[in-house]
Amino acid sequence: MDLLYDIFVNPFVMMADRPVFLLKVIWEGLAAGVLYALIALGFVLIFKASGVFNFAQGIMVVFAALTLVGMYALGMPAYVALLFTIGVMYLLAVSVERLVLRPLVNQPDIILFMATIGLTYFLIGFGEFVFGGEPKVMITEELGLPRGIYRFEIAGQPLILQKLDVAATIIAVIMVAALAVFFNKTRIGRALRAVADDHQAALSVGISLNQIWVIVWFAAGIVALVTGIMWSAKSDVSFALEIIALRALPVLILGGFTSIPGAIIGGLIIGVGEKIGELYWGHLLGGGIDSWLAYFIALAFLLFRPQGLFGEKIIERV
Amino acid sequence: MNLAVAPAEASKAASSAPEVLLDVRNVSLSFGGVQAIKDVSFNIHKGEIRAIIGPNGAGKTSMLNVINGFYQPQVGEITFKGRTRNNVRPYEAASQGIARTFQNIALFKGMSTLDNIMSGRILKMHRNFFWQLLHYGPARNEEIEHREKVEHIIDFLEIQHIRKTPVGRLPYGLQKRVELARALSAEPDLLLLDEPMAGMNLEEKEDMSRFILDVNDQFGTTIALIEHDMGVVMDLSTRVVVLDHGEKIADGTPEEVSSNQDVIDAYLGVAH
Amino acid sequence: MSGEASQASAHDTFPKLLLRNAEVFATRAAMREKDLGIWQTWTWPQVLDEVRALAIGLKELGLKRGDRMAIVGDNRPRLYWAICAAQSLGAIPVPVYQDSVAEEMGYVLEHAGVAFAVVENQEQVDKLLEIRETFKGISHIIHDEERGLQHYDQPGLQSYASVQALGRKLMQQDGEAGKAWLAEVAKGSGKDTAIILYTSGTTGQPKGVVLSQDACMWAADTANRFDNLTEQEETIAYLPMAWVGDHVFSYAQSYASGYCVNCPESPETVIADRREIGTTYAFAPPRIYENLITMTMVSMEDASAIKKKMFHYFMDHARKAGGDILDGKQVGLLDRVKYGLGEFLVYGPLKNRYGLSRVRVAYTAGEAIGPEIFRFYRSLGINLKQLYGQTEAAVYITAQPDGEISAETVGKPMGGVDIRIADNGEVMYRSPGVFTEYYKNPDATKETKTKDGWVHSGDAGFFDEHGHLKIIDRAKDVGKLNDGTMFPPKYIENKLKFYPNIKEAVAFGHGRDQVTAFINIDLTSVGSWAERNNIIYASYQELAAHPEVYRMIEGHVDEVNRELAGEARVAGAQIARFLILHKELDPDDGEITRTAKVRRSLVNERYAVLIDALYDPSVKRQKIRTEVTFEDGRRGTIEGNVEIRDMPRHGAGDAALREAAE
Repeated sequence: MDLLYDIFVNPFVMMADRPVFLLKVIWEGLAAGVLYALIALGFVLIFKASGVFNFAQGIMVVFAALTLVGMYALGMPAYVALLFTIGVMYLLAVSVERLVLRPLVNQPDIILFMATIGLTYFLIGFGEFVFGGEPKVMITEELGLPRGIYRFEIAGQPLILQKLDVAATIIAVIMVAALAVFFNKTRIGRALRAVADDHQAALSVGISLNQIWVIVWFAAGIVALVTGIMWSAKSDVSFALEIIALRALPVLILGGFTSIPGAIIGGLIIGVGEKIGELYWGHLLGGGIDSWLAYFIALAFLLFRPQGLFGEKIIERV
Repeated sequence: MNLAVAPAEASKAASSAPEVLLDVRNVSLSFGGVQAIKDVSFNIHKGEIRAIIGPNGAGKTSMLNVINGFYQPQVGEITFKGRTRNNVRPYEAASQGIARTFQNIALFKGMSTLDNIMSGRILKMHRNFFWQLLHYGPARNEEIEHREKVEHIIDFLEIQHIRKTPVGRLPYGLQKRVELARALSAEPDLLLLDEPMAGMNLEEKEDMSRFILDVNDQFGTTIALIEHDMGVVMDLSTRVVVLDHGEKIADGTPEEVSSNQDVIDAYLGVAH
Repeated sequence: MSGEASQASAHDTFPKLLLRNAEVFATRAAMREKDLGIWQTWTWPQVLDEVRALAIGLKELGLKRGDRMAIVGDNRPRLYWAICAAQSLGAIPVPVYQDSVAEEMGYVLEHAGVAFAVVENQEQVDKLLEIRETFKGISHIIHDEERGLQHYDQPGLQSYASVQALGRKLMQQDGEAGKAWLAEVAKGSGKDTAIILYTSGTTGQPKGVVLSQDACMWAADTANRFDNLTEQEETIAYLPMAWVGDHVFSYAQSYASGYCVNCPESPETVIADRREIGTTYAFAPPRIYENLITMTMVSMEDASAIKKKMFHYFMDHARKAGGDILDGKQVGLLDRVKYGLGEFLVYGPLKNRYGLSRVRVAYTAGEAIGPEIFRFYRSLGINLKQLYGQTEAAVYITAQPDGEISAETVGKPMGGVDIRIADNGEVMYRSPGVFTEYYKNPDATKETKTKDGWVHSGDAGFFDEHGHLKIIDRAKDVGKLNDGTMFPPKYIENKLKFYPNIKEAVAFGHGRDQVTAFINIDLTSVGSWAERNNIIYASYQELAAHPEVYRMIEGHVDEVNRELAGEARVAGAQIARFLILHKELDPDDGEITRTAKVRRSLVNERYAVLIDALYDPSVKRQKIRTEVTFEDGRRGTIEGNVEIRDMPRHGAGDAALREAAE
């Protein structure tokens, strides 16, 4: 009886009792969700255009962050280092297309998936060789990202927001908007959708697959760089970050592998769900809930909507 | 009469001689040990409807794939609009003015009819990325211009009612028509049609025949088509080239070809 | 001629109305057409300009007063202008059904003796050229679209644009051409023949109904007044131009009131185009309304459970309250609130899908409409009304005034119409809209129209207690069973056809002991039903013969029998046996007309074997071979082995019992 009370009644009483706290929890959930969404977005971009599940997306995040910090450590001004890192991501995209995708064209998807695993280990090794294995600190302030907090009073209760979270959210929104415009309004965007839909037809209307692949991998690289900056601003830049790729998996299950809105909304749902679950129900299970709760949410959702958050319709318009 | 004349000779001939748009010379193609095409030569005149026929496995689709760059022939060369090329990629072929349709329909199933046809104009569009990003100024006018061209094609092929319908939901016959529309929207010099009437009922075939003739007539588009239905081929085409087991066995007007003993044998051999 | 003097005051012809509209409605849209995805608009002065250019060109080519000019094609502004251009010269336009084959069309053109034809496109040009091989009288063929016609060099073939260019050139060269045209317009009078409309008769060859300018003008004015139509209305022209309804609705009424007529992009885009325009006044035969509902029901079957629930919940509520709200009756507050919510969630979106959101008045006519269908639209808040009309009456005989709506009747006589019921039950009418004669067919004219102007409608009917006319059948079709029971076949057939699964029905019984029926299933509706129930079928024939389909149709027939049992006059005419035909009745085979009316004599002849089987109680299955014409004109045969079902008959009590149970 008590257990049922703790599961079905008490958490809601707590929520109703301290609404500002709930608000804070939701906000934190959203802030985390934005980052999940960004990682998932990286996966979706590449999956849509080339049908490859890019196992290396996680390491690309680390690699981008490492390059940025590493170049700064070598004495480059922060913004120059940022531009340089963007250049490196472009080079990475070109190299992947030349050395991995082009030779493997027309191979089964699983081969390409294996190739991205290989790419992961290559980037780990290469990263450690160049930048060393020890954790580093993100150059948050040097990039002009705000530190500190915003403090609000709501009904006499304090609500505290991290400035960094606010900035991350704004940047993520801008980036998603830019991508949406890019995909929907430009020639390249149309070409990209065409490639995602049917390779053969895309070739016949004069789209170069190689060019498109470079573009999506580059776009995924930029997304990885932004994710890397935001994420490591909260902790450190280390190879341990690579496991955040695993965070994106439930988001993808929830939102679908090919839907950009799915990735974004899925990310937010998982972020908020995780935080609320942890704070209101977590103690019942003795903590550690955050390592699997996201999967639980995604799977529970799938029971009701097997096709993921967004069915065919929205995918078509992306 | 042998119509596979070398272009140098053709240009020397009287000025009234038809202009050669595409010339295929001694092309051979093999996959591993299998010879798909053996030393085939033929040409396509500007403005004609050229049919490529033959029994199953004769190498017709392979020939089309060689022309638009899906396959690279091991031997032989191809001259298109006076430029000889050995290796060409599909998107390069497209940018030179070759558009095509597929036997099994290759449309962007998730996109609307309109978007599909617009995608056929990708090569015609400006490359100025930043204008497009802003969706403003010249890029916007450009979009309107392209849309107008596309609307003419929609009108031409009578597919107004499915403008906004995702093509995946359309019946087969209409999908074929949308695919033709997309190929046309590139304003190609050479249009390759791979079995444009496969799987259609009689009425749809008649419609498609009319569209093909009208395209050729109104836009002056040169057309090369593969077709099984001999009746359709005889009605539509100016000249016919016949392949069998990867080799050319006949080339000429429909009348000449249909009375050719090799052709009759090849067809009977397969049919029975 | 005194015409010149009186022209300014009396607008007694449509060309004169055009001159008036160009002044009075100088900035208003008269016509629109969707072309290349964009609506093109012509104001009244622009229409005048187009009509004048064409008329002067036609005159130069030799079109004279009294000549007949055929008009063939889908609803295109240029074809409507051709009507006015012909009338302006005193020539007589003869619109022809555009989908009729060359043979049918040839009869009409030859009978009308047309010299000029204005046609839409290559398809029609080809037909006209084929007709001209036998009927040499066609001197000029003028085509709207150029496509595919560049290489045609037949004499007398030219483009619409070139005729207009000729007219414009003449006007530029000398100012007299324009004045001469105005003088021609002024010569016209209300007594002139405005148009000849050929009716696709259910028997024999089509007859040319001659309507005068006065008759059309009366129809236009009466109808516009009846529903307070003004220049503000928007309508869409999509029904055949050769049908009197379209002529009055998309031409006469538009010219009289100044409202705008919109031509759709293609016949397939009508619904989407109507939605874009937001028509305010609509006119359609019942099948169009039926199709919309079938479409909705089919798509609802595929919708999610929540949507389905919501749809059915609110449609049930609409059935309860919607009609009363529309009729301005008293409705409880809660029901009103619920209806308002339904409007937001279901009715509004549905009306928008049909393109009927802005409709003030919508009519159904031509055939009886299913009461369920009729109530469906009214419950959505669409002011759908019935009218009763005929080509011979320039459409309008009776119509339902606002607030006096019933699914079973066709309303009250319109202003200026007298009606009486003949002894045999036939409805007879007299009005200023009555036709002049059947063209070159005095015998038929004499048969139909009495000396003092009464017209035999050919329909049997009676007035109900509210003074509303109720039509039950064709007068000559109402027969008698051997025991003397009245047998109105159409009445029974319509009851059957109100089930969406039944597309067509033919009832037999005159001079027989009992009533039997042929049934055609509706492929769309039954097909989607079959899909949902995992019934696999390869052809229409296979689906029609499926035992499950038979069981379903048997249920419908039984319900009809119960209804008939409840009506004293026809209780004895319940269906005793029925069968489902192995093929669809098809206009290409001549079995039904282009307007989907059954040609009984032909059906009787072709399916005699099946009819005999229906009246032989020992026969449970019957083999049949039928010749069919495919769409491309090829001929072939279809063979079937058709099952016959016996039906129980109900007593009068059954119907009452059932009603009590509900």
